Amino acid sequence: MAELLGWVFDALLALALLLLAARVVFSPRLFESIVLFIVFGLLMAIAWARLAAPHLALAEAAIGAGITGALLLSTFRELVIGRTPSPEAPRVLVYRWHGLMALLAGGLFAVLGWALLSIDVPTGPVAGEQAMALLARTAVDDAVTAVLLDFRAYDTLLEMGVLLLAVLGARAALGSQGPASSDDLWTDGEGDTPMVGALVGMLSPLIIIMAGYLLWAGAYGPGGAFQAGAVLAALGVLLRLTGRIVPAPRAGVVQRGVLVIGMGVFTLAGLLTLATGRAFLQYPESLAYPMILLIEVALTLSIALPLVLLFSGSAGIAAGRSQHSP
Amino acid sequence: MSQPELFVLVAAVVFSIGVYGLLSRPQLVRRILALNLMGNGVFLLLVAFARRNPDTIDPVPQAMVLTGIVIAVSATGFALAIVRLLYRETGEAGLGENRAP
Repeated sequence: MAELLGWVFDALLALALLLLAARVVFSPRLFESIVLFIVFGLLMAIAWARLAAPHLALAEAAIGAGITGALLLSTFRELVIGRTPSPEAPRVLVYRWHGLMALLAGGLFAVLGWALLSIDVPTGPVAGEQAMALLARTAVDDAVTAVLLDFRAYDTLLEMGVLLLAVLGARAALGSQGPASSDDLWTDGEGDTPMVGALVGMLSPLIIIMAGYLLWAGAYGPGGAFQAGAVLAALGVLLRLTGRIVPAPRAGVVQRGVLVIGMGVFTLAGLLTLATGRAFLQYPESLAYPMILLIEVALTLSIALPLVLLFSGSAGIAAGRSQHSP
Repeated sequence: MSQPELFVLVAAVVFSIGVYGLLSRPQLVRRILALNLMGNGVFLLLVAFARRNPDTIDPVPQAMVLTGIVIAVSATGFALAIVRLLYRETGEAGLGENRAP
C-alpha cells in the first residue's frame, strides 16, 4: 500500500514538474513565468527528498527557489519600472523558426529518453561506494559533506572562485551606479508599515540560529556551508527589502574581506597541507575536523554576502535608516 | 516503471523544454529561465541515475549537484546583472526584432 502511494505521489510530482516547466517557457507573461519557476524550484526540492537527497532538498529550497527567485523578481522590477503603457504585452514573443525548434526539441527528448533508459546500471565499484568505504576515515560523519570538503575539496574551492567571479562581474557590469531606485521595497519611505518591524524583529534571530544549526549539522547530517550561507543570504534579502540595509556605491574593507575569506581560508589550508608534505587539501588526521569546521564557517560567510550583493545589484551594502517607526 | 526511470524521463523532458525555450525566445530573462530549466534537468538526471541501484546512496553526484546549484545561482545572478546593464544602456532587454522585456 505504501509502495503504491509512493508511486502515485511520484507520478503526480513528475506531472506537476512537467506542466510547470512547460508553463515557465510558454506563459505569455514574464512575471508569471518567474513565479512558476520559483514554484518549480520548490517542487524540485520535494523531488530531491523523494530521491533520498535531503542536502539537495535544503539547497534547492533555499538557493534554487529562494535566492534565484529573489534575483529574478528584483530584475523584473527594474525592467518594468517606468513602463507606463501596459508593462508587458500579454503575448508570447518567439523567433520565426520556433516551430522547427519545437520539433528539434521533441526529437532531442526522444533520443535522450531512449539513450538514457538504455544505459545499464553499473555493476562494478562506483565512486560512491568508495566514498562510503572511506567515510570512516574522515573527520565528518556525513557522506555529502565529506565529498564536498574532503574527497573533492578542490571542486568546492573552485566553486567559491566562480561565485566570487560572478559577483565581481556583476559589480563591473552595474558598477557604482547602484540600482535604478534605492527606495525601500516594502515600506512607504516614511517608515515601516505596522507589521514590518515585528516581522523583522522576530525572523532575524531565528534565521541566524537556523543558519548556525545548518552549519553545525553539516558534520553529521543534511546541512552544511551552502545551505547555511543561503539562509543567511535570505536574511540579507529580508533586511534589504525592509530598508535595514541599503545599496552602497562601494564595499568597505570588511565586506571585501568577507567576500574573499572563503577562498582565502580554503587556499591557505591547501597551502599548509602542501607545506607539510601532504597532497593539496589532504588534511592531517588530528586537525581534520577543526580545519573543515573553520573552512565551512568561512565558506558560509563568503556564500551569503555575494548572494546579497547580487540581489542588491550594487558594489556594497550599508546600514539603512533608523529602524524606529514614526 | 521504477522511480529512477520516471525521474530520468522527467529530466529529459525538462531539459528539452529548456532547450526549446532557450532557442525560441528573444527575451533575455526568459532565456535565463530556460537555461535554469536545462540545468535542473541535468541535476535531476545525475541524482536519478545514482538511485537506480536501490541498495546504496551515492553521495558523489549529490555533492556535484549541490556544487552545481550554487554555480547556477552565480551564473544567473551575473547574467541578470548583464541584462540590467543592457536595459539601462538601451532601454531594451531582448534580442532581435521583439525587444520587450
